[in-house]
Amino acid sequence: MRFNLVLDLPDVPGQLLEALEPMGRLGANIVAVIHQRDVKTERGTVPVQITIEGDKETLDRVMGALEAKDIQIMAVDGVLRKEQITTVLVGDIVEEDVKDTVTLLNLLEGVRVADLDLKMSDEPKNSATKIVMEADFGQKKEVLKNIKEIGDQKGFLVINEV
Amino acid sequence: MKAKGDPMKIIILGFGAVGQGVARVLSMKKEYLKSNYDLNPQIVAVTDRSGAAIKEDGLDEELLIKTKNETGKISSYPEYGVHGLSSLKVLGEVEYDCLVEVTPTDIDDGEPARSHILKAMEDGKDVVTSNKGPLALSFQELVDCATSNKVEFKFEASVGGAMPIINFAHENLAGCSIESIYGILNGTTNYILSRMANEGSSYEQTLTEAQEMGIAETDPYQDVEGIDAACKIVILANSVLNLPVTLKDVEVEGISRITAESIALAKKEGLLIKLIGEASPDALEVSPRLVPKGSPFAVEGTLNVATLKTDLADDVTVVGKGAGSVETASAILSDIVSIWKIRK
Repeated sequence: MRFNLVLDLPDVPGQLLEALEPMGRLGANIVAVIHQRDVKTERGTVPVQITIEGDKETLDRVMGALEAKDIQIMAVDGVLRKEQITTVLVGDIVEEDVKDTVTLLNLLEGVRVADLDLKMSDEPKNSATKIVMEADFGQKKEVLKNIKEIGDQKGFLVINEV
Repeated sequence: MKAKGDPMKIIILGFGAVGQGVARVLSMKKEYLKSNYDLNPQIVAVTDRSGAAIKEDGLDEELLIKTKNETGKISSYPEYGVHGLSSLKVLGEVEYDCLVEVTPTDIDDGEPARSHILKAMEDGKDVVTSNKGPLALSFQELVDCATSNKVEFKFEASVGGAMPIINFAHENLAGCSIESIYGILNGTTNYILSRMANEGSSYEQTLTEAQEMGIAETDPYQDVEGIDAACKIVILANSVLNLPVTLKDVEVEGISRITAESIALAKKEGLLIKLIGEASPDALEVSPRLVPKGSPFAVEGTLNVATLKTDLADDVTVVGKGAGSVETASAILSDIVSIWKIRK
């Protein structure tokens, strides 16, 4: 059987090799690799499409190995595994410890903070943070609710997606 | 039941921008209404804070507007003006078919509009209103009163001005279950947020500019703190989703904490910040949200937009002018016409 994967790799040398390694090692055949380094996501990561072939057990082992390496699998056979969630927080991000906010978000089940952007203002309470997260597919509503709670606790204005 | 050729006698309570808009469209559309619907509307009384103008066989629409603009008082209407006469008295004394309630909105107790509407219904009269206050606070009471008195009660103009939504949901989407409604329901805040996104300007600066242009009111509290949008969410939740809720059930966050910095960050990600109202069985909320550029919610200026999520038709989105004298009056006129079709 075949799996069509979409991986989301950081744009640094060696990442593609790192992702392909378990496939060869565990005995899956690589049918195709589409890797265009100049096509990037908004966050600067590179989406890579890989088709692998093998029996079910081999392919499952490969998936397990990729996950163990913390490689982001965005989609399998066209079915999204992860979805991106963006939120903007307004408030005194330095005073309210932005690192702690990221930690709290990472503690949410199936959520990983993928990108963080800050814009400081002369008036500290007007500063803003943009946080991009990857979450397990189908969790969005729950995650948005949790973000709102975390933001409310810290006195941030939370601007979530619709 | 009206006999063929009988006029529809209308009382307009409140003669601000919307009331004058109603007089204007009735005057503009006289021939059209006659030939298309055999409708001959007559304004038999108009009131404002100063008193009333009353004429049994119809006041002159243009003279009403001229009198109000020149003297500020409808009671100065030549020959038929009455100083100090209260709206409730007018409803008790003048013979009419349909009340158009367009007095200023009050969101504390919905008065005096609530009493006007109840009085008219109890007297067996049909009511059309654009007044959000009584609807957001006492929706069920008003609808129950209309039902028990067997009168028509229509309020299309209360949400989204000229943008069709309530009658649209009931008539054009009849047969669909509507699961939720999302929308930009306040033109002032949408104008401010659009300007901030385009110019990179601060909230305070943009608000001042909007006030100078007459888009934001001198006291912008109800608009910028999301109260106006919350009233509309309550009306939609009640009338379209059959949820018996009132203003206090809505979680509200306005736009006064939105900064140029937050808009700039959202923009980098291809997103815009908009004040979105949401009505669904799980959530009643007005809050600033992120919407993708190019989505139906990415409307600019004072436009309103709403998406209805339905079971059969999937998402349906309507866009239109959310305010304006003649624009809002267009929604009131459509309610008047549909009442006429039922009554004639």
